Order: sequence, then C-alpha cells, then structure tokens
Amino acid sequence: MERTRTHEDWKTCFAQMGPALVLFARRWTNCRAEAEDVVQEAFVRFWRRQHAIENRALLYATVRSAALDRLRSEQRRARREATAAQDGADHYEPQFTSENEGEQLLANAVERLPDEQREVVVLKIWSEFTFAEIGNILEISQNTAASRYRYALGALRKTLQPHE
Amino acid sequence: MNDFSELETELKKLRPMAVSDPLCARIERELAQSAITPTAGLLLRPAKRRQGGWTLGLGLAAAAALVVVALNFHSTPPAKPPVLAQQETPAPAVPVASGFQASALTQVVYGQRDEGLVFLPNQSERVLRRVRYDTRETMQWRDPQTGASLRVSYPAEQVVLTPVSFQ
Repeated sequence: MERTRTHEDWKTCFAQMGPALVLFARRWTNCRAEAEDVVQEAFVRFWRRQHAIENRALLYATVRSAALDRLRSEQRRARREATAAQDGADHYEPQFTSENEGEQLLANAVERLPDEQREVVVLKIWSEFTFAEIGNILEISQNTAASRYRYALGALRKTLQPHE
Repeated sequence: MNDFSELETELKKLRPMAVSDPLCARIERELAQSAITPTAGLLLRPAKRRQGGWTLGLGLAAAAALVVVALNFHSTPPAKPPVLAQQETPAPAVPVASGFQASALTQVVYGQRDEGLVFLPNQSERVLRRVRYDTRETMQWRDPQTGASLRVSYPAEQVVLTPVSFQ
C-alpha cells in the first residue's frame, strides 16, 4: 500500500537510507565523493519518478544502475585520464565510524572483502534486505547471494581470528 | 542454525559514515528545481508528434528530387576508377532546367573488402578477383546566375572484378 508523500519526505527517507546507499555505491566508485554523486543522481531519479517510498530495493537498484552507467563512461574517460586515476588510488577514505580498535579491524576487514562479497554484506547487514531482495537488486540468484554472504562472513572470521 | 550470528552482531555495530551536508543540499536543490518545473516528477514520455504526414511528405518529395537529380547526373557518367582516397573531379557542366550546373563530384572510398576469386558462369577457365568498395558520393550543383548551390550525398557500393592470371 503506497502512502501519499510530501516533498519533505525525502529528507526523512534520505536520513535513514543515505549512509547505506553511499556505502553500497562505493563498490563501483573510486572515492566517497563519486559515490555521493552516484547516490545523488539515483535518489533524485527515484524520487522524481514517484516510486513508493517503501520500495527500497528499487532505490538500491537505481543506485546500482546509475553507478554502472557512470562506470562505463568513466572507463572510456579513464583511458585519457590514467594519471588522475592513479592519484586517487593512493587516497584512503574510511567507510565506517569505528569507536575502538576491534571495530576498526572489522571495518578494515570488510573493506578488503572482494567487491561481489562486500556488496552482499552491505545489503544484508546495513540495509537489512533478504537474500531474495539482494538477488533482485544485484541481478543474481537468491542462492548466489546467500553463498557470497557466507563466503564473506567466513573470510571475515578467518581474518579476525588472530586478533580475537 | 546461523553460526555467524556473533559476527553479524559485531558487524551491525559498525555504522556507515554519515553523508555529507553538501550532498543533502545538492539533492534538495535538484528536487526543488524539479518541483517548480511543470513536468517535474512525471518525466512523461513525449507525445507522438502529429506532423507525421507532413514529415513523410517532405521526405518523399526529397527522395523523389534526389532520384531525378541522380538520374540526370548519371546520364553523362564519368568513368570512375575505384580509389582509396578522396577524389574531386570537376563534373561536366550539364545544364539543368532550373539553371543549376553540376560543379563537382566527390567520391570517398572508406571501405574495401577483398571477396576472393570468382569464376564467370560461362567461362570456367576465366578467374576474377572480386573487390567490393564502400563509398560515399557527393554531387554538387551551382547556379552561376544566383550563386545558389545544391549538394547531394549518398552511400554507394561498387564491385570491381579484376582478371587474374596464373603462371
């Protein structure tokens, strides 16, 4: 059931979902600023088309689509701007706020996960999607999403074991 | 069942970095912009244009004119060998009823495909090499009295058969 929304609703919606959306968009971007650009484009596109606010999976799919569009054009541009890309690669930006060393280690371990595993973890943990929804967003099967999630958590556990 | 529950709890304690204030401001600006645009939020597909008949008529008229002009031009065709470069030749001045005179013919060969050896149907011993050329021909007319000019450009394909002899 779609409820009527006002122009101001986007702020509430974005306050809740913005950080996770940016985290999700980081999968296809070189830096946080680019991820924010992608989220901006996708969120505005989503909001203008007046989709149901509750349709979070569609919003994430829109972010993914916008990111892939951008990635394609970036790849074309990258051939001409290889130097600038190299400069960006040296810059590290944290993606989580961590309050202690344990959280910092965990955050680092998440950031080092393979992209395809990390995106499933991001959608599952910080966006609380089901595997079926994750499958729809990423255009993969539900089983593949679940399998990647298990591999990711297995890898995280293995990484963290010496520190526990 | 889920032996990762402890790890999941730890992961959930991590908070993704908050979005920057400029991002919120940018989104607000874009949405406000769309709010004052009459079609904001709808992004309607543009209605089908109703001048289809007019456009079709104009297209047909242009095509007919092109055919007439091309036939007129080719009534005295210069023999053109295939070239792999731009070639400009002053076309013979063929007076046209309107006062336009052919002033130039340009043929640009932009593709060449060697299709190998072929045999003529009735001459089994005669071997030919078939080469297909993709060209673009541009013809120009000029009215010396008014200074008006007309230019027609179209793609063309030429097949050249060259006899091949084996020692």
